[in-house]
Amino acid sequence: MHPPSVFDPHSAYAWSIYHLTVVVTILMGVVVLIVTGLVTYVCIRFRERKHPGPRLSYGNRKVEILYTALPLMLLASIFGLMIRNMDASDPIQRTRDNIVVVGHQFWWEIRYPGTGIVTANEVHIPAGKPQMFGMEAADVIHDFWVPQLGRKMDMVPGYHRDVWLAANEPGIYLGRCSEYCGKEHAWMRIRVFAQTPANFAQWEADQEKIPPIPTTGDAADGARYFTTMTCANCHTIRGTSAQGEIGPDLTHLASRTTLAAGRLPNDPADLANWIKDPTKYKPGCFMPDLGLTDEQVRDLVAYLETLR
Amino acid sequence: MRARDLNKTRFAMLLFLGSESVFFIFLIVAYIYYHGDVRSGPTAHSSLDPVKTGIYTAILLSSSGTIWLAERAFRRGSSAFRWWIAATIACGATFLCGEMKEYAKMLHEDITISRNVFGSTYFTLTGFHAAHVTVGLLLMCVLLGLSIRNRLREDHGEAVESISYYWHFVDLVWAAVFSTIYLWSTR
Amino acid sequence: MSELQVVPAEMERLHRFEETAGLLKWITSVDHKQIGIMYVLATLMFFLFGGVEALLMRIQLSWPGMHFLAPETYDQLFTLHGTTMIFLVVMPLLIGIGVYVVPLQIGARDMAFPRLNALSFWLFLFGGLLLYFSVFYGNSPDAGWFAYAPLTEKPYSMMEGMSFWCVGLLTAGIGTVASGINFIVTVATLRARGMSLNRLPLFTWMTLVNSFIILGALPALNASQVMLLLDRELHTRFFNPTGGGSPILWQHFFWNFGHPEVYILIIPAWGMLSEVIPVFSRKPIFGYTFVAASTVAIALLSFWVWGHHMFAVGLGHWPDIFFAATSALIAVPTGIKIFAWIGTMWGGAIRFTTSMMFAVAFLIQFTMGGVTGIMFAVVPIDWQLTDTYFVVAHLHYVLFGGTLFAVFSGLYYWFPKMSGRMLSERIGRWHFWLTVIGFNATFFVQHIVGAMGMTRRVWTYPNLPRWAVLNLISSIGAFVLGFSVLIFLWNLWVSAKRGEPAGPNPWDAWTLEWATTSPPPEYNFREIPPVHGRRPLWDLQHPESEKNPKEHG
Repeated sequence: MHPPSVFDPHSAYAWSIYHLTVVVTILMGVVVLIVTGLVTYVCIRFRERKHPGPRLSYGNRKVEILYTALPLMLLASIFGLMIRNMDASDPIQRTRDNIVVVGHQFWWEIRYPGTGIVTANEVHIPAGKPQMFGMEAADVIHDFWVPQLGRKMDMVPGYHRDVWLAANEPGIYLGRCSEYCGKEHAWMRIRVFAQTPANFAQWEADQEKIPPIPTTGDAADGARYFTTMTCANCHTIRGTSAQGEIGPDLTHLASRTTLAAGRLPNDPADLANWIKDPTKYKPGCFMPDLGLTDEQVRDLVAYLETLR
Repeated sequence: MRARDLNKTRFAMLLFLGSESVFFIFLIVAYIYYHGDVRSGPTAHSSLDPVKTGIYTAILLSSSGTIWLAERAFRRGSSAFRWWIAATIACGATFLCGEMKEYAKMLHEDITISRNVFGSTYFTLTGFHAAHVTVGLLLMCVLLGLSIRNRLREDHGEAVESISYYWHFVDLVWAAVFSTIYLWSTR
Repeated sequence: MSELQVVPAEMERLHRFEETAGLLKWITSVDHKQIGIMYVLATLMFFLFGGVEALLMRIQLSWPGMHFLAPETYDQLFTLHGTTMIFLVVMPLLIGIGVYVVPLQIGARDMAFPRLNALSFWLFLFGGLLLYFSVFYGNSPDAGWFAYAPLTEKPYSMMEGMSFWCVGLLTAGIGTVASGINFIVTVATLRARGMSLNRLPLFTWMTLVNSFIILGALPALNASQVMLLLDRELHTRFFNPTGGGSPILWQHFFWNFGHPEVYILIIPAWGMLSEVIPVFSRKPIFGYTFVAASTVAIALLSFWVWGHHMFAVGLGHWPDIFFAATSALIAVPTGIKIFAWIGTMWGGAIRFTTSMMFAVAFLIQFTMGGVTGIMFAVVPIDWQLTDTYFVVAHLHYVLFGGTLFAVFSGLYYWFPKMSGRMLSERIGRWHFWLTVIGFNATFFVQHIVGAMGMTRRVWTYPNLPRWAVLNLISSIGAFVLGFSVLIFLWNLWVSAKRGEPAGPNPWDAWTLEWATTSPPPEYNFREIPPVHGRRPLWDLQHPESEKNPKEHG
């Protein structure tokens, strides 16, 4: 797992920004050192005890012009570097979106245009292939940021933005919402799974399948509860009558590693806890406590665990 | 010294009007930004009558002339001052009536401030202007009242001038608003 | 010699005024010195509020997975903290010190409009109290000091907190505009004879420039807040995307105010440095013209850089480049000042009073904040680092390590004038070193944790490698900083009561405020000294300097 660090670039875009950051940081460090050095020098050299008689001076035009011109030149060269770097960090050239991410209050909807795959909170991409991400928002402004893969991009309701992201090698990359979006902004996290092309194709094929509706045991009861009770008002499970669009798509819930945008690991026990009392784990989330009995929860979990 | 020739009150009024114009520029920019972005509901073209409002505009703008005459009369110490101020008040009030009639007509057609972006930007911009007209009318009523009771002294000149600056500004803002909303965006 | 003489009738009025004792005298005061002191006291109160809010947040963030604060409480706290520190502490504090010092520095008896001055103060105070009233009303604003739509629109913010935010700041904002007008008219019309614009003390110069920025920027905020308030209360459609409005327009409007505001928060602080450093280096300022002109350049540029707050919005390639260029350019006049101050110290005989020590710390810390600012002007770096703790570190290096250090420097410098007593240098040392240590411990590590991916405005964070320990250091630093503030208040309290008497000019300074008693009488000056140069009191001591053209500007 790669923590969301600017210092850990894993794509050409992130590398390009990383290089620029390092160069500029060094230059700026030199500026700080020069100023600190000068200040320290005058403080030691010209303190009253050492240098009791001040030299009267009102300025020196040459020095003044120098300290206007030198910073100007430094900034101009940084600006030049930046212009050369911008297209490498976020190429202007756009193509059709591979993936569309829609920010919702406290979770991410992820669509793969042209395939019918809809998932949530965990993005799968083939490693080594630049991906065109489309960014949208359903309610307030969010911001998709996985620093190892490239720049961040605001998701503004009413606008569509595109951004290039990629991962050079397979791995799990952690990211997060980076624009304050309300109460659970802190728990709005992203996982990007970069997979080998073969694994990615396999994942895609799995996701396109419609999971069968169980007919026996607890899972069958769970499936019935899901479609007849409140769950279906908000969630979609393809192949069933549950077509709600408010919450995340659960068609392949069991194939994900976390629940509620990274709040809990996705295992039967945590899933049961989550269903019983979502706001206990994520106080600002919009999924209510439905007052289900333990038995109902057990059946629902059994059903949801079949959604691989 | 030059610094002392600068009149405090007039200068402060000019600075205040400067800050006011920034305020109005933002309201006008909001109007222009959303013009052409109206997806449904009323637009400037469908709901405004530039000719009728043009007449009221002419009346308001002519009041810049009457207040200038009032100011001149004041400096001469002439009692014509009262008449010119009264004329200015009349012009301003007529304009305000015209605008209220227009508002009433629009509200009757259910064009409100919350209907769509046109309604929001139109009523906010013209409403803030109307509020400024009202303040100007109140100020001039005070001047008129003082003058009728012979309480207006010669050293009130800078107050008279400042109010006159304010009134010119109100007219100027309307000229900008009228050109933007009625002339440009109703096309 | 003196141009203005106190006429007997005026004297009598002043005496009568002096007899009106106690609180009523303060509340009804139109004296710029009393109003200035009330500004300082009121902002200190709000500073304590904002500080406590910050400490509560730092407790919550001291370790991952803390449950000290609920998320909604945390959101209200960071919104109140930002709003308080910007609108109710730094801005009114700088205005308040200006209200006290500017008339004295130019040899005037008061501001041009004393009653308007009092109105500005009371509008600020009640605007601030109105904002804080929301706490008792049960719901404080919780959408950040930048109030991005649509999070601030009705469907997403049903409680009245954001409306309080709008109304409170509108009230204070009108007062601020009035202060701006008052300063400009005061400096334009009430300068002592002989004080031409290029002999103006630099603090006054910068307050003057600042007032012009206020007149250009505050109405933008007022207009935006009016529109937001109408959106919330009358259901207009300005910034609400579901009604056809645009959230991006709010950002343009807000930062049109917001970036000039950053300069409103620093320019008078530069002015204070430009008074303190020459006096304690025993030399006139190095390159007066460059310092003054660079301030004007910043004022003009500050209205053309707002887009650098919006690089992550995706405005497009060329807008990004335009705003990157203007933002980088604004670093040049800023650098000029840093070097001018170092040039002033060069060859001087530096006295390390507490005031001077804060000024020296400013030079280094503000440079730190400045260079991280340049990093944010480099678009791709901003694409990564914006909205992380790197920004939090940057802005605190500018506003705390910069502005507040300058304000401490200025308060140590002018407190003797205001109270007639010296602040204790011994307590002052403690205050200084604890502030430096606390400040850098709190905020330096935030650069690192930000670059490691910690975003702003989160009430909790995951336990990723090194995040916990860095946050813990920051929290401990915050408490050291909080303690240093208490020491400062203690210093104010004891020194006001038992401090060494200051006399009219304890620092052997050169500007006109030191030509009268400490504290000055209501009418400021019995006689205004003649002004033939930039350092009128120095001229009095060195009559031979009469012929030096550089001294006389």
